[in-house]
Amino acid sequence: MPSQTDVVTFVNRYRILLLLALVFLFMALFAPRFLNMFNMTIIMKSASLNAMAAIGFTIVLICGHLDLSVSSTISLGAVLVIGFRPDLGWSGAIVAAVAAGGVVGLVNGLLVAKARIHSFIVTIGTLTIVQGIIYVYTGGAALNVTGALDFALADFLEDPILLFFPPRVIITILVIVGFEVFFLRTKPGRNFYMVGGNRETAWLAGVKADAYVIWAFIISGCAAALSGALFAIGISSATTDLGVNSLMIIVAATIIGGASMNGGKGQVLYSGIAVLMLTVLFNGLNRFGVGSEFRILASGVILASVVLYEAYSNYKKERIRGQRPELLKELDPQQLKNVASSLKTRKLQE
Amino acid sequence: MKRLGLIALVLMLAGGMVAFAGGAPEADTAVAEDNLERSLEVDISGLRSADGQTLLPELSSKQVPPRPDNPRSLPETDPLHWYDMEYLGWGVAEKINIPDSPADGAIGKRVIAIINGDHPYLTAYSNGMQKIADAYSMDLTVLSPNWDLAEQNQMLDEAINERPDMIILVPLDARVAIQQVRRVNRAGVPIILSNMLPEEEAMQYAIAWTGPDDWGQFREMARVWADELGRSGGVAYIRHAPGGSPYFARTYGPITELAEYAPDIETLDMQAPGFEAEATMQVVSDWLTRFGDRLTGIGLADDSAQAIGTIEALRRAGREDVLVIAAGNSKVGMDMVQDGDLLAITYQSAEADGAVALKTAVDWFNGLDVDPVLYIPKQVITQENVEDFMPAQW
Repeated sequence: MPSQTDVVTFVNRYRILLLLALVFLFMALFAPRFLNMFNMTIIMKSASLNAMAAIGFTIVLICGHLDLSVSSTISLGAVLVIGFRPDLGWSGAIVAAVAAGGVVGLVNGLLVAKARIHSFIVTIGTLTIVQGIIYVYTGGAALNVTGALDFALADFLEDPILLFFPPRVIITILVIVGFEVFFLRTKPGRNFYMVGGNRETAWLAGVKADAYVIWAFIISGCAAALSGALFAIGISSATTDLGVNSLMIIVAATIIGGASMNGGKGQVLYSGIAVLMLTVLFNGLNRFGVGSEFRILASGVILASVVLYEAYSNYKKERIRGQRPELLKELDPQQLKNVASSLKTRKLQE
Repeated sequence: MKRLGLIALVLMLAGGMVAFAGGAPEADTAVAEDNLERSLEVDISGLRSADGQTLLPELSSKQVPPRPDNPRSLPETDPLHWYDMEYLGWGVAEKINIPDSPADGAIGKRVIAIINGDHPYLTAYSNGMQKIADAYSMDLTVLSPNWDLAEQNQMLDEAINERPDMIILVPLDARVAIQQVRRVNRAGVPIILSNMLPEEEAMQYAIAWTGPDDWGQFREMARVWADELGRSGGVAYIRHAPGGSPYFARTYGPITELAEYAPDIETLDMQAPGFEAEATMQVVSDWLTRFGDRLTGIGLADDSAQAIGTIEALRRAGREDVLVIAAGNSKVGMDMVQDGDLLAITYQSAEADGAVALKTAVDWFNGLDVDPVLYIPKQVITQENVEDFMPAQW
């Protein structure tokens, strides 16, 4: 029989999967017209926009920084891909849009890593500047394409080709899995964690921390622009404020997915699954016919619960760890429990 | 690997549950055989909106002139430059894939309305729609994406999944609406567009568009404004949100009308600071500094927050002589007209706006002919007649 510690460890490790399963099960059982292929496709498509952008946000967070400019970079990718389409064709427009996102990330990265300005300040600035550029470029109006081939491409990207997975969703999944493998299975990937977890250790290990921070922002910019671009192609149009509401969902999902605001922790896969979980939740709430205010409230409650649970877990770990963690490694869970209880007794006696 | 295995298991379980659940959406229940007859007998002439006005008075008509070869080549001050916006929907030569009316009556029909956001106007809009739904015993669901395009797209897909008898959409953006309406049309669900004008191409996939004649009502109000200004002076405009039809109609409606009716009135500037009173106050204060006494009139796209910010800026500058008009008619705007702060606002019944959209659906369910464009009535509210429209709908 598994011990309490095993259960806690399992819940900690797989909490986002368990949350997804719980929310999905609840909605499947109680939400009207939730469980059908068409609705699963809707959920997958809806999650796709924010899941792709969450990749970059997670990587920047792993490096110990924030990228608040993802929301306007999503919009930038969207308006550029539609705006460049007549002159560059779809492939050229996608490359240009993603490259523009990369430039935004490069600027962010240089200012954070080289000029040593806090990422919060830098990315708030670029968020505003990029939004301004979008307004200047579009004149404030949405852009669209209306050719038969444009519509055909949109239909191709949005209609499922495998179960409830349209190509836009499959691309997102492939990109997420690719980054997940890179970060967990390659040395450069693991170095991102070292940079965010302990910059001094990274320096001692010969890791060029600044370069990794810059690359994290570049990836974030590219991923956000790509997500906006794919979404825009799917609806054959782009609005200037497409990504405005994405930021809160991305931040919430990344934290729920296990990334730490202090850096050194997080997984793009889990951030993606957290976006999916929130989308399932919103979709299910829509099925119950509740208003948007309840959707915001529900995501806030989940985020608060996860953060509180995280804080409680950290508090417990800190109490058990004490001053000599290397000694504790030799103890089994039961012994750890005894140590904790004796520490508690001693504290009470004092 | 263990983790990936677990994820795969979760996905397989989800897939299995979906397969078990059957997949395809169900068809809605059939209506009774005498539904059409009963539906045609429903009398809604006694319905009133919250301001005491008839909920559905006779709809406004509009003279549609011939389209110039290239409207965009004309100057912006020429009304025909905006032809494709002002007369949008009238020129659609052919509708695409519009389902045939079931002609079996409206009673019991299920309609999903997707508005564009949370706003008091849209609450009143939904109330008007609900009054028609109640009169015809229809099952109406109103959903709001809270101004989020991705959310509105998701809601549209979800609405398609529900297979309702009709979808009514208030687009968030004119251009984006094309693909949105096309998607609903492809799914074989009838759709009516409402309130916000889409691009012309969207109209070919929709049964009809209903809503205010923004251009027409601002033209009417511009004449009242010009008379009070003595047909001279300088005016500036606070615009609606970029992208939507009011962004153009509520600026170029009066500009083009004044160019013909009072050509001596000069347009000094136009800005779109959004719908925050503070931001509007800042813009108007800047104008007062920049233009001084040359500024004699201000046109607003909104009679709530924008009006509050404008009037406050004028008050602080001691410039109560500036004549302000606005798109209405909220309680804030009506009170300001009553107090003399605003010269005029448009009467745009939010409840009628919602009601007309659903009544058009009713007519279609009843097998009646439906015009491609239907306007709610327009009037100008001034201090002289404001009492007739009290209490405000929103």
